[in-house]
Amino acid sequence: MIELNNIEKYHPAKGIKHYVLRHVSASIASGEFVSVMGPSGAGKSTLLNILGMLEEPTYGTYHFMGEDITSMNERKRIELYRNHIGFVFQAYHLIDEMTVQENIEAPLIYKKIVASERKSRVADLLDRFNMVAKKDLFPSQLSGGQQQLVGIARALVAEPSLILADEPTGNLQSAQAAEIMSLFRKLNREEGITIVQVTHSEKNAQYGNRILTIEDGVVRTDTPVAGQL
Amino acid sequence: MFKLNIRIALRSLLRNKPAALINITGLTIGLTACLMLLLYVTYERNFDRHDARTTRVYGVMTNVPDGKGGITATFDGTTTALAPMLRQSLPALEAVCRLSYGSIRLIASGEHAFKKEARFAEPEIFQMYGYRFLSGDSTTALADPHSVVLTASMAKTLFGRLDVTGSRLRYQDQYDLKVTAVIEDLPLNSSNRFDYLMPWLFYETVDPSAKELNWTNYSFITLLKLKPGIAPETVNKSLVTLLKSSGSDSEQPHFIFPLQRLHLYGKFEQGRSVGGDIEQVRLFTALALGILLLACINFMNLATARAGRRAREVGVKKTLGADRRSLVFQFLTESMVLCLISVALAVALAELLIPAFNSLLRVQLNVGYFNGTTWLALLAIVLFTGILAGSYPAFYLSSFNVIGSLKRNAPLRRFLPFSMRQVLVVVQFCFAVSLIVATLVIYKQISYIKNRPLGVEVQALVEMPLEGNLKTRFELFKKRLLASGAVSAMYQSSVKLAHHSSNFTDIRWPGMQAAVNRVMFNKVGTGYDFIKTNGIKMLAGRDFSPALPTDSGGVLLSARAAKIMGLKDPLGKVIQVMGERRTVIGVFADYVWDEPAKTNNPMVVQMEPLRGGSMTMRLNTAHSLEDNIAAISKIAREMNPAYPVELSFMNQVYAGKLESERLLGLLSRIFGGLAILISCLGLYGLVSFSAEQRTREFGVRRVLGATLLNIMQLLSAAFLKLIAVALVIAVPLSCALMNTWLQGFEFHTSVSFWTIAVATLLTLALALVTIGLQAVQAARANPVDALKYE
Repeated sequence: MIELNNIEKYHPAKGIKHYVLRHVSASIASGEFVSVMGPSGAGKSTLLNILGMLEEPTYGTYHFMGEDITSMNERKRIELYRNHIGFVFQAYHLIDEMTVQENIEAPLIYKKIVASERKSRVADLLDRFNMVAKKDLFPSQLSGGQQQLVGIARALVAEPSLILADEPTGNLQSAQAAEIMSLFRKLNREEGITIVQVTHSEKNAQYGNRILTIEDGVVRTDTPVAGQL
Repeated sequence: MFKLNIRIALRSLLRNKPAALINITGLTIGLTACLMLLLYVTYERNFDRHDARTTRVYGVMTNVPDGKGGITATFDGTTTALAPMLRQSLPALEAVCRLSYGSIRLIASGEHAFKKEARFAEPEIFQMYGYRFLSGDSTTALADPHSVVLTASMAKTLFGRLDVTGSRLRYQDQYDLKVTAVIEDLPLNSSNRFDYLMPWLFYETVDPSAKELNWTNYSFITLLKLKPGIAPETVNKSLVTLLKSSGSDSEQPHFIFPLQRLHLYGKFEQGRSVGGDIEQVRLFTALALGILLLACINFMNLATARAGRRAREVGVKKTLGADRRSLVFQFLTESMVLCLISVALAVALAELLIPAFNSLLRVQLNVGYFNGTTWLALLAIVLFTGILAGSYPAFYLSSFNVIGSLKRNAPLRRFLPFSMRQVLVVVQFCFAVSLIVATLVIYKQISYIKNRPLGVEVQALVEMPLEGNLKTRFELFKKRLLASGAVSAMYQSSVKLAHHSSNFTDIRWPGMQAAVNRVMFNKVGTGYDFIKTNGIKMLAGRDFSPALPTDSGGVLLSARAAKIMGLKDPLGKVIQVMGERRTVIGVFADYVWDEPAKTNNPMVVQMEPLRGGSMTMRLNTAHSLEDNIAAISKIAREMNPAYPVELSFMNQVYAGKLESERLLGLLSRIFGGLAILISCLGLYGLVSFSAEQRTREFGVRRVLGATLLNIMQLLSAAFLKLIAVALVIAVPLSCALMNTWLQGFEFHTSVSFWTIAVATLLTLALALVTIGLQAVQAARANPVDALKYE
């Protein structure tokens, strides 16, 4: 599904190239659950952003589902967001002015899906996440864990094939974190959704089936998870 | 999606109440001004356009030569002889009509007498104006010399009903007339208005000067209607040749001007139209649009200042698949929602303000709620404003790239580099400062003109129309008033003191160079005590004296008249006024009449037989004003029971002459106030936002030992710099502009250092208060709270 070939990313700073990523090559197959780990500033988030097409690599090629992203125009990229990629953020990034229900519905509106189908899909997700009672609340009225559930529901509603999660449990307590991670694992196993998450936590990484470790912009290790939780 | 956008827009309004309040206040004020403007412009533009037949109607204009080949004035007065000649010899004309100027005359139905505006016209007037007949018709309405046409409200006033054709009326307590037609009221925005209309044939009985065909008395209006397809230029050409060949001794060149344009473009210089009321329309347009622009700037500034917050939303939406178009659309929806709320408030506000506005501008506006065009125009305003206010933020915000906006605490830009926002604030304050300067200069000019010596002792001076029985019994009336002690001196005259309509050129004097005089003179026909009553200063000679019977052939000259004639020792010289020989017995100092900021025409004052006009009285200051008025009213009612007593105070009459300047002053005060209010609101919003954004920075600084004052300086400096820039730009610009305005007055003041100083200090003070309010709040906040935040 994802083919990274010799990706480099640097910021020019006072004439010196400040490398964030160097010679990163990796391939992620459909149905994998990959955790990207490494110390702060290693380039994990940049890698995820490149995967999500939010940032462009300075050098190298990136094929997504067989297509070359690096030469893709804005319109095509938006098509990809709409149809294949769901984002989950550490800070949830729900839209404050929208209710739970509207937040979940938003991607479908941009995808121009008809109202009746939107309603049924949102209702379905609310039901699945046990949030029917909270559908008319605003994000500020929810706990962090609940907000992240909404964030995940929003990422899922467009039925993406890939979920990119940047420290999805970074702002949560451990019990809530475990709940979110189990949800990810379930989505991965039962619905075959490919997941790439960035995490600091060894424990969270165990929910996936492969761990990429990045240090100083270079992939150090790429190991399968032995005894998956 | 649209519904969701609107919901989100409303929620975000509620969430940011201060910003919403600032925006709505500003936009409501701006839109109200625009609404009024819309109504006003429609009103002015539709002047005399109620009927299609008026498009081919032209008024004959007269140029007044200054004797040196130039033209001093242009007006719509013509002679009685012109119309009959044109009717006979110009086949390009479909109709020609003579019309009198309107004057307030007494009309009575039995006991009910009213003084209303009367006009006389030839029947062709019905081909010029599209009057709608409620009863009677255009062929017979003015056929009989003793007929009268009433407007609907006049009929209501006189009879209380509309079906009054055939009823009898009494004119000026002298003539019996029969109502032949009732027409719908004339719209206020039509020229040559009247309450009742009488035939020209009747005018010839009432006023001999209307009957005699002459080429010297320019006291009548002539209207022409061209045949379809005739160009006015060809008529103008034949007019010139015709006047020459006809052998008339008329020296005034005539030309024709479209009636429909006369109201808006009726100001002439050197015989060419150079504007008129259109200037007022333009000024008001500029002011109203300016205010709306200020409000839009507030919206833009607050929206982009909050960009940091909105940026995250933009980023998230982009990852959810939103394209730029849908984001632009969303932000525009927000500004539209705001506009709609404001426009609803503005309509309500306009409805409240229209009566005041009407009496201020002397117009008759109303909101045509069920008029399709009004709704369309309103919609257009909302769309225009929404797009104007919303487009910059929409394109600015939607352009954020995802990654920058999602990174936490990523400063989008340093707050206030040299940005669009700064430019906009400067623009706002430039506008506000200019209006303040304008207000001050206009105020100064008005007081300058007011304080100019009038040359007349205007206190305790009153005037009253001379009409009815008093015309024949004036001497008795005067005797009784003097005996009653209410009046210390009085005189009668052909014209009022402050406005002299009687202009003429037929005058000769000893040592005159040219063969024919081309300078417009003004004539006042009077009896005794003209000088004494008015308190006018004599420069040489004396007033008319009853002791010297030869004085009836005497004449008084104004100082300017004596100067123009170039008479070294005018006393005793014999001049010819309209063919009559008169001896100069005195020269008096010029006094103010007509336009107070202009030098007036030279004037001759002579004894004339009593023909009606005006009486001017000096009240006896030994008695109270109320007693004097009561005494005068009592005697007037006794002697002239058919007429109401109408006394006007000369100081009010003179004050009224500054009406258009007063109006301009008032408009600039209102708009200046609004401009500064809206600008300060915007500034308040920006400062409060800046303070909020820098809460943490201020917290840290406080902890490090910064004082309240330091923090306030920090916050204020950036904004005060902008105000200073605005002052530097706007003050010289507006001073130059106001200087040009002042040059338009013959007597004018100047833009002084004090004007500039007051405008500058006022603006700075207001800005400082606005900023200070917020700065104090920010500086006083507990640093611990600030640091806990986030």
